[in-house]
Amino acid sequence: MASVKLTNVKKIYDKNVVAVHDFNLEIHDKEFVVFVGPSGCGKSTTLRMIAGLEEISDGTIEIDGEVVNDLQPKDRNIAMVFQNYALYPHMTVYENIAFSLRLQKVPEDEIYDRVTRAAEILGITDYLMRKPRALSGGQRQRVAIGRAMVRDSKVFLMDEPLSNLDAKLRNQMRAEIILLRQKLDTTFVYVTHDQTEAMTLGDRIVIMKDGYIQQVGTPTEVFEMPKNLFVAGFIGAPQMNFIETELTVENGSYYVKPFGVKLPVDGEKGTALKAKQAKTGRITLGVRPEHITLTQAGANAIPCTLEVNEMMGSELHLHVYTEDGTRLVVRVPTVSLDAETRKGLVAGAKVHITFEGKVMHFFDPESTENLLN
Amino acid sequence: MNEKKKIRRHMGLRASSAISNSVIHVLLVIISIIWLIPFVCIVLQSFRLELSGPVGYVIPKKWGFDNYVALLGRSDFRQWYINTFIIALVNAALQTVIVLCMSYALSRFRFKMRGALMRLMMVLGLFPGMLTMIILYRVLKDLGLTEANAVPGLILVYVASSGMGYYVSKGFFDTIPKSLDEAARVDGATRMQVLFKIILPLAKPIVIYTILTAFMAPWGDYVFARYISFENPVGMNVAVGMYKWLTLDQISSNYTMFCAGGVIVAIPVTILFLCLQRYYVEGVTGGAVKG
Amino acid sequence: MKRYSDLEYLQLSKWKKLCYRLACFFRSIPTALKNLVLAVGLFFKNAALAVVREFKDIFLTFKDGDIHTKISYVFMGWGSLRRGQILRGLLFFLFEAVFIFYMVVSGGYWLSMLPSLGKVGPGKTYDPILDTYYYTYNDNSFKILLYGVLTIFFIIAFVYTWRVNVKQNKIAEDILKSGKPLKSGRDDLRSLVDDKFHKTLLALPVTGILIFTVLPIVFMILVAFTNYDGSHDGYINGLFGWQGFENFRTLFSWKGANGHSYAATFGEILTWTLIWAVFATFTNYFLGMFVAMMINKRGVRVKKLWRTILVMTIAIPQFISLLYVSKMFAKNGIVNGVLLDLGWIDQAIDFWGSTAHNGLLARALVIVINIWIGIPYLMLIATGILMNIPSDLYESAKIDGASGWKQYTKITLPYMLFITGPYLLTQFTSNMNNFNVIFLLTGGKPTNTAASWASGNVGYTDLLITWLFKITTGEEAKYYLASVVGIMVFVVVALITLIVYNRLPSVKNEEDFQ
Repeated sequence: MASVKLTNVKKIYDKNVVAVHDFNLEIHDKEFVVFVGPSGCGKSTTLRMIAGLEEISDGTIEIDGEVVNDLQPKDRNIAMVFQNYALYPHMTVYENIAFSLRLQKVPEDEIYDRVTRAAEILGITDYLMRKPRALSGGQRQRVAIGRAMVRDSKVFLMDEPLSNLDAKLRNQMRAEIILLRQKLDTTFVYVTHDQTEAMTLGDRIVIMKDGYIQQVGTPTEVFEMPKNLFVAGFIGAPQMNFIETELTVENGSYYVKPFGVKLPVDGEKGTALKAKQAKTGRITLGVRPEHITLTQAGANAIPCTLEVNEMMGSELHLHVYTEDGTRLVVRVPTVSLDAETRKGLVAGAKVHITFEGKVMHFFDPESTENLLN
Repeated sequence: MNEKKKIRRHMGLRASSAISNSVIHVLLVIISIIWLIPFVCIVLQSFRLELSGPVGYVIPKKWGFDNYVALLGRSDFRQWYINTFIIALVNAALQTVIVLCMSYALSRFRFKMRGALMRLMMVLGLFPGMLTMIILYRVLKDLGLTEANAVPGLILVYVASSGMGYYVSKGFFDTIPKSLDEAARVDGATRMQVLFKIILPLAKPIVIYTILTAFMAPWGDYVFARYISFENPVGMNVAVGMYKWLTLDQISSNYTMFCAGGVIVAIPVTILFLCLQRYYVEGVTGGAVKG
Repeated sequence: MKRYSDLEYLQLSKWKKLCYRLACFFRSIPTALKNLVLAVGLFFKNAALAVVREFKDIFLTFKDGDIHTKISYVFMGWGSLRRGQILRGLLFFLFEAVFIFYMVVSGGYWLSMLPSLGKVGPGKTYDPILDTYYYTYNDNSFKILLYGVLTIFFIIAFVYTWRVNVKQNKIAEDILKSGKPLKSGRDDLRSLVDDKFHKTLLALPVTGILIFTVLPIVFMILVAFTNYDGSHDGYINGLFGWQGFENFRTLFSWKGANGHSYAATFGEILTWTLIWAVFATFTNYFLGMFVAMMINKRGVRVKKLWRTILVMTIAIPQFISLLYVSKMFAKNGIVNGVLLDLGWIDQAIDFWGSTAHNGLLARALVIVINIWIGIPYLMLIATGILMNIPSDLYESAKIDGASGWKQYTKITLPYMLFITGPYLLTQFTSNMNNFNVIFLLTGGKPTNTAASWASGNVGYTDLLITWLFKITTGEEAKYYLASVVGIMVFVVVALITLIVYNRLPSVKNEEDFQ
């Protein structure tokens, strides 16, 4: 159990390719932090620098107040779960889990106790004498976690541990990681490219792109107040809709004009804009699919044509395009529509959509920053 | 459609595959015979007693073990055999260590001179190795490792530059996922422990391949061995010693002896090879695929 | 030449496509060579820049360094000793001491003699009382050259170590300035089995290569510029000295007795070497693949038996199998005996002695016997690769209506060539240097009388490498000529490798078949 502090950490590969720029973050004791971002954003590199598997080009990393830059991974007292599990194929499950303890010269009977306890927690007691080859993906994943668990390490690092599992198992293991976290009660750093995992697991999420931190915050913060276009588009599925439009002010009230339909920015967003004295002009307007509603033709209604209707079970994903050809996605709960209306939602159908001011996000099209930052 | 036609077509398929398979079997038998003829001849002639020179027929007229008895009675042959065996054994041990050191370092470490070192070795490999013979002979002579002491001299020559033969085992190491190393290092292993506890157990086939090739090579080496033993029978290996028996002045009296010697040399090597064939195949294919 | 766009190219007929690609290949050779020259130029430029940078750094370290750093410039290891890194300091100091001792005791001598390779040759004085000659041996050119080169190696090593010593001082100063502790000797030792483990691993192999491969090669390259041979052995028969490019001129001059010069001989042998390498490589390749496909075909029985029979040729030492086969084809050998018995011929065929058509019979036979030796390897390799060809490729080809032959030319062969490209290249170059097969089978025979004027009893099946061997072991022992030939072999092999390697599909587009 320990805090991890990264100060101005940089990773420059030879030929001057910069993988991580100036990374600053303090991870508190017992916190669960998730690094998330598209592939190549530097999240794994950062994790591997914490683990000591990559050299740190610049800056310092401290674990529990001690600078670990020049320490070998074995001396950092960390545990790590790898994407492809990295189980030792020539050892049984028991030996795999016991490996680190044996290197530490822990007495055999204590090893036995600790391995069997970990195995029990993970439900792999029956497989202890098997080789990894004979295990299924989920079981291997458990062994990998078990191997990290038996050591009393200060920090628990996980590098995309669920990405090799199929969707169903992934959901199950995700829940188990939450349970495990409660049991272990230690500091976690978790890397994933999957925003759902990040949202469900993390106390705080670090969103990265091209080696830069885009935003650090709790799941709620990053969802409700994305700092820029990238974060807005990355968090949430289906992706947030972006509309190029204009922000105007009339009588002290703000309006947006998507597709020539004038919509008032009311509610807290309007207040915030007023408080900020936001500049009018061209903006990128962001609206999440679930915040758009179907409506009847009217003053606030944007007319669209339905292109594809995806029935997801509990909800419908409607892919529509407006009169100027902009494509939008609308997410509608299935129960909110009667059967007659649902039947009418076929390709080519004319629909009308609208959304309220409080769900709007405003971004500067030049800097891509959120106007309300 | 017409059922009969369909059936006939199927029959045709089966029949044609049967024909092609029998053609292949015949071909394979012919190939096998061609491949075996020299070995059969050499074995048969080693039992021939009526004439000790080369003859124009295969089946001996008079059979017996006399050639073998005479051969094993020759102290020089025994010496050559022991020499070669010692060289092969020591070479197998040392060369394997060197090659594995080299391959592990080149496969797992990214140090500054790595690229330069690999390029250097590639360029060195393009030089005809024979060129170095003259100077190596002189150097070994200064060290007193020629003629009667040729055995340690030869071992030194074989082992010293064996690091250049790292390709195959490096290629194999490269296929072992790096994350295993990393996991072990996080688990608290030093790089050395990673080598001994993770990589080597997983690299068993390639270790055996390396040992096997290193053991087999000295049995066939003629040029270096001849140069370094320099006509001194005490330092010769089997190839150098027995080569003499087929020279113009000796062939008429020692030809059958050569055959017997060949059989005695070949049998243990061949048996060992056939037992470990699986590993050899793995190494050879891996090496070719990696280039 | 007209350049086609992709779409235009697709419209060409098969033959035109082939011609176009061949033309492209040959056209690209000059560019490739140009690029090579440029790359070499760039390399030297970068090297020069690096040297300048080093000097600047050395100067700055001296200027900015403390007194211990400054002392370390003369007294290696001083800074480390003073800063508590005893182990490092001692090693630096020890190295310097050994170096100075060596240079004073012998290195200086070898170095000073290197330009002349010896001044006083062996002498012979007449003793009138005993009526005998006394021989005195003085300078030894061979040792001068050898130890001279070794001394230069040592000096380079010293300069490098000195540089490391200077750098270490700077690093230590920087670390101390930032308030961190220096690594102790124990840390250093520990890191040798951990993050610096590669140094431990490489120390022995690389030293071996340096002493037993690099040193001899450098030495032999230098020999090409001397007149080292049997009568100038450098000690007993006479000194040898520097000759400049004289030996290269000799090899490439067209003057010679009987209208046969070194150049002509070299050209003749080189041509045969290349022909041999092409045949030896490709016959083995295709026949080996063919045999592998036969053995692996579904429905073929006792696969293991066929494989084992073939593989025996690999197991049995070549000197036995090749020498024996060579004797089988001798004039009084089994082959002739059996053919005579059968009445198929009425006179023994002189396989290894017939010089008709430049020894065509012997040359063809060597290639055929090499097939016997080589097929098993290729069979093993091809088997391994064939098993790895994804079966869905064949399935989709079958559905597309490809016949067996089409499947072979469109799937099997491209796949094999793609995977084994680099292997084929190394196979080609090692066949060019295939000493064993030629030496054990024919010893170079049948003798090429005309060419033999050019030293060493040249035969029609001689490769450059066996010629080289003959030159060194011949009566005159023209080591200098052997060196020149060796360098030429290197040049030819390196050129082929350079031109072909970067064009190999598996090097160019690594992902195609992945």
